[in-house]
Amino acid sequence: MSPKAGGDAGKVNSAIYKDKSKPADIRLSNINAAKAVSDAIRTSLGPRGMDKMIQAANGEVTITNDGATILKQMSVLHPAAKMLVELSRAQDIEAGDGTTSVVVIAGALLDAAEKLLQKGIHPTVISDGFQKALQMALQVVEGLSTSVDLSNEDALLKAAATSLNSKVVSQHSTILAPIAVQAIRAVMEPIQGGVGARVDLRDVKVIERIGGTVEDTELIQGLVIPHRASNVNGPHRIEKAKVGLIQFCISPPKTDMDHNVIVSDYAAMDRVLKEERQYILNIVKQIKKAGCNLLLVQKSILRDALSDLAIHFLDKIKTMVIKDIEREDIEFVCKTLGCRPIASLDHFTAENLVNVDLVEEVNEPSGKYIKMTGCSGGGHTVSVLVRGTSGAVVAEAARSLHDALCAVRCVARRPALVPGGGAPEAAAAAELGRAAIAAPGADHYCLRAYADALEVIPSTLAENAGLNPIETVTELRAAHASGTQSGAGVNVRRGRVTDMRHENVLQPLHVTASALALATETVRAILKIDDIVNTLN
Amino acid sequence: MSTLAAPLSVAGTRHSGAPVRTQNVMAAAAIANIVKSSLGPVGLDKMLVDDIGDVTVTNDGATILKMLEVEHPAAKVLVELAQLQDEEVGDGTTSVVIIAAELLKNADELVKNKIHPTSIISGYRLACKEAVKYIQDNLTVTVESLGRPSIINAAKTTMSSKLIGADADFFSEMVVDAAQAIKVTDSKGNGVYPIKAVNILKAHGRSARESVLIKGYALNCTVASQAMPKKITNAKIACLDFSLQKTKMKLGVQVLVSDPEKLEAIRARELDITKERLQKILATGVNVILCSGGIDDLCLKYFVEAGAMGVRRCKKADLKRIAKATGATFLTSLTNMDGEEVFEASMIGEAAEVVQEQICDDQLILIKGPSARTAASIILRGPTDAYCDEMERSAHDALCAVRRVLESGRLTPGGGAVEAALSIYLDNFATTLSSREQLAIAAFAQSLLVIPKTLAVNAARDATDLVAKLRAYHNSSQTKVEHANLKWVGLDLNEGVLRDNLAAGVLEPAISKIKSLKFATEAAITILRIDDMIKLDPEQKGKSYEDACNAGELD
Repeated sequence: MSPKAGGDAGKVNSAIYKDKSKPADIRLSNINAAKAVSDAIRTSLGPRGMDKMIQAANGEVTITNDGATILKQMSVLHPAAKMLVELSRAQDIEAGDGTTSVVVIAGALLDAAEKLLQKGIHPTVISDGFQKALQMALQVVEGLSTSVDLSNEDALLKAAATSLNSKVVSQHSTILAPIAVQAIRAVMEPIQGGVGARVDLRDVKVIERIGGTVEDTELIQGLVIPHRASNVNGPHRIEKAKVGLIQFCISPPKTDMDHNVIVSDYAAMDRVLKEERQYILNIVKQIKKAGCNLLLVQKSILRDALSDLAIHFLDKIKTMVIKDIEREDIEFVCKTLGCRPIASLDHFTAENLVNVDLVEEVNEPSGKYIKMTGCSGGGHTVSVLVRGTSGAVVAEAARSLHDALCAVRCVARRPALVPGGGAPEAAAAAELGRAAIAAPGADHYCLRAYADALEVIPSTLAENAGLNPIETVTELRAAHASGTQSGAGVNVRRGRVTDMRHENVLQPLHVTASALALATETVRAILKIDDIVNTLN
Repeated sequence: MSTLAAPLSVAGTRHSGAPVRTQNVMAAAAIANIVKSSLGPVGLDKMLVDDIGDVTVTNDGATILKMLEVEHPAAKVLVELAQLQDEEVGDGTTSVVIIAAELLKNADELVKNKIHPTSIISGYRLACKEAVKYIQDNLTVTVESLGRPSIINAAKTTMSSKLIGADADFFSEMVVDAAQAIKVTDSKGNGVYPIKAVNILKAHGRSARESVLIKGYALNCTVASQAMPKKITNAKIACLDFSLQKTKMKLGVQVLVSDPEKLEAIRARELDITKERLQKILATGVNVILCSGGIDDLCLKYFVEAGAMGVRRCKKADLKRIAKATGATFLTSLTNMDGEEVFEASMIGEAAEVVQEQICDDQLILIKGPSARTAASIILRGPTDAYCDEMERSAHDALCAVRRVLESGRLTPGGGAVEAALSIYLDNFATTLSSREQLAIAAFAQSLLVIPKTLAVNAARDATDLVAKLRAYHNSSQTKVEHANLKWVGLDLNEGVLRDNLAAGVLEPAISKIKSLKFATEAAITILRIDDMIKLDPEQKGKSYEDACNAGELD
């Protein structure tokens, strides 16, 4: 496994070797590959963006509008292109929304860098210039922002609706946006003495179910378990349930591989059978004594979590039992119900049970599921049941909801909103243009190039909406140059430039700021590469 | 922003832009064309032959599409759509696919005329919403106002397009009776009709008209022994979900005997455990034991001695329904809360008669007159197996339609009446809008006409002429107050004329129409929004950068 330098022509098979040794070539190849990625997803930006259909190697079809998902699915080959895929994923983790914009901005910046390189400006100078421009742009964007009060539901709704508007489910944004806002508000914990609130998205469980339409999506203040109860003739609906979550099995213990129970007498056979019954009965009686009428059983691999006999007994004591609670879900279940998992029978006592107002098994053509509502002792968690006509629609609705949740979370984390529709980018471009004139040397070119690159967002928005990009961008430039309309952006609905604040198109500051910062950093990293070395295996 | 179209190298092929949409629309149209000729009362059937040579003859859209192996991802969306309609409504699977494909076709035309897909999408959404509202407000009648004949007519309308259409009178009565027999009331006090509870059995031989509805439950099993009685009146039934076989020890329990006498004792004990169970059950006066597991031949003699009937290997789902119908407890074990095995009298279910009858080649066990609640089974007869299969599907569709009518209580006229009325209404509605959506709504209105058109074409009538007349009638019903009753006018495909379909009894559940519009719109929109398609190559070891580099793909 010796690394082989690309420039070392003597050691490689000369027939297939292509001269990429020159740093300029490598840089150009990288820039082109990255730009191709950004070009590929440009058409899905904005409220009039289109979807991509991706058929994976195993034949599974994904239809999506989400930049991060598209890039993750479409397995690109070029290492520099992979960096943009990573970039999109980073934005997904950091902000959750704006995954398309971040790649589009990076593509535009690379395009600008290419032109600067052709002018003969050194890559490190460009890189530093971009860094300066980023600082300025961030200041401008922050200056545009208006802080919001987290108790103001209206402002949060706008952020969620803006995020949803570019998705296939945009027509349902009146249903999904309130769900996203309510969900986040239910799970957020204000930071004491600080600004904003802490939101853990793991506290919002999104469950996908085919059937019905997206309009049937609902928010459940409680728990949804997407499979049926194990009972044979047990109850299907329990009011005022007492719930216990157990991590042990109600089935006869298995002997080890090399141990055997040896029976040599017919009386012993009866005993063996009776012992088994007694063993299970013992557990069930303890459950009954504790007053539990809903039992959740963690999934078990080594043993049956529930034997048939156990189900029979539990039916008799009218206890609903749900098995196969996934190990990773235990934490969420505990938090929702406010209970602790019970690991051994000795701890199965009344004080370890929790009250739930209503548990019901909902029967639908596509299958049954369990819904628990009114968890009095529970923590701050919610479940969202996403519905849709086909697997692809449900999956995309869930992804869109995730983006909306992230958008609201960003506001909670940093309670400030900026106008959308390309307004922050246009404002930053205007400011950078002014700064460029004053800047000396190469910075002048870099700032100007950066400013032009930022205009890719309004330009793409206009292009996707079928407007004339040149006309729109110049109109927008004029609005921002006048200095009075800082909220001016591309109004896709009306097809012209208007103040986005009046249109209620608002997005979280954190999304825009993080997109700019991440895109710039990635571009700087790509610019600094001057060689690709293949390690052969 | 780059103008340079650098080839994006992905491990697969990528198409983007307008060709993708056209390609998707073509695929959808191809799917619709397959099922198009089977729409309506004069629609024809398809014969599908699978890779092992099994033949299916059917007229049901969902079944046809399920059996096709569709490759194209956009076409798959339509196949899923038909399946969804089948699950949610059970009927109208063909029309939903045809409407979706027509919506796509018209949308593609608009896109070619430089209208942005998103404008078309919002137009379609608006049109769908308006259409649903219009159906609910203007085009429905309640079942109460029409009575039982209307329910029968709804079943008849569904069947009219199927193989059993000729005997629709006979079958619709049967289906409605069956649906009403299985009515249960849910926790909220609403009547629900779990149509799965109607047990449909097929037996070939004899004509379709000799199909029978049994007020009770038909079980496709036979008694375990010939010595058992074949007919028991005032049956007391036990439903067991375990085997009455020699008790075996669990894994990990080893029986080790050194003495041959003890061996005998153990063998005897293995049998006795089961024998004791059986005797406990028989002691309570049970004379029919239905068992989901096996019954050992050695146990049979106890049955015969007690004059009881034993049935082995019943299906679990059947057993559960029988338990519900007869009031028996579905037992997975006999153990009570003290760890002892007992069988109590409260676990017994009752039925007026349990009898084994010979139908066709098969012996069936019929449980007649269950005590707890009514049940229904349909035994379908037909000349061939394929014929019986298709009858079953048709009966299922009709049951679904009846259920929808009974649950929602609203009906719409069939024969293209709703589509024609909506098309006129939406056309007028479109002209009131001054935005880009106008064209899309007009296209939606145009697309709906595909249903009356296809109906007429399938019936070999002059589609242009008939649809024009139909539209004229509906237009005057919506513009002139005195002609309001013309809104029920639809096609009479046997005569090739127009008639009042409400009076003629061509009725469909309203919910089926509404859902099919909603589902078709959503599916069309999903496909319309796609402008890029990436097909990844089947997984190899994964193309490395160097391979791509050598192949010159990165230049």
